[in-house]
Amino acid sequence: MPELPELDPVIHGKLRLAVLSLLTGVEKADFAWLKEKTGSTDGNLGAQMLKLEEAGYVAMEKRFAGRKPQTLYRMTPSGRKALAAYVAALKTLLGGAL
Amino acid sequence: MAHSDQGDGATRDDLLQRVALMETMIAEGRRTTTRYGWMFLMWGLLYFVGMGWTMLLPMPNLAWPVCISVGIAVVIVKSWQKRAGATENLRSRSVEAVWEGMGIAAVLFTVGGVLSGHGGQPIFMAAILCMVGMAHGISALILRWGMQGVAAAVWWGCGVAACFATTPKEMVGLFLTASFFGMVLFGLYAMVLERRHAAAPVQHHA
Repeated sequence: MPELPELDPVIHGKLRLAVLSLLTGVEKADFAWLKEKTGSTDGNLGAQMLKLEEAGYVAMEKRFAGRKPQTLYRMTPSGRKALAAYVAALKTLLGGAL
Repeated sequence: MAHSDQGDGATRDDLLQRVALMETMIAEGRRTTTRYGWMFLMWGLLYFVGMGWTMLLPMPNLAWPVCISVGIAVVIVKSWQKRAGATENLRSRSVEAVWEGMGIAAVLFTVGGVLSGHGGQPIFMAAILCMVGMAHGISALILRWGMQGVAAAVWWGCGVAACFATTPKEMVGLFLTASFFGMVLFGLYAMVLERRHAAAPVQHHA
């Protein structure tokens, strides 16, 4: 029997998975937008974004929009690769369910 | 990690929830990037104001410079505000680029037409109408949005008809017809759709 694939624990967290999925459809997204879409709190989202950043799956950019500071995130190529691998592993695990 | 026990129904449910979460978020990320209905409505109304001022109010020479300047100022302020809290994607940037390019071309063409004294000719009006139709048409193709294709057809149809116009009254009528159906009504329709999308339930998986 073939060995079941491992799911990437960094991606598997619900909020982190939600953020990465959101980022697949956009080039960049700011923190407030991600917070609104995921319904999370500042603290929780900030902590999860840090984990994704440390894993190299997202890149952060700080800039000013007028006088307002803005934190933008984009998915990195290794983030896309990891998400694709995660989806492939999910497919294998779920078999015919997908 | 909850992946190894595939005999466990809860684990399988958990994985299926992850799939549903991804689908929801991907769709959410794609759908919330463009809200331009108000802009079509605003430009359509400004066209009516410009035309009305030209025909009925004093200092008609100021009508279009003022109306176009107001429109551009509002767009600049709004795009500055958008930068302070939104997302960027290739599709929305492409649509914006089409309209910005059309806007610049139309303004330059109008200035050239007015300065050279050709501004009142039917072919001049036809070109403006077709330019707006082209922007609608390209945008419709990018977004695969049939209703915007209809708006493009209205502008193009009026553009072709303007080639055959013989009086200024006919040209004004065609321009206002295109503005009403292809900007005001289309803008209202787009705003209703955007509002519906915004009100649609979104799953929050924090």
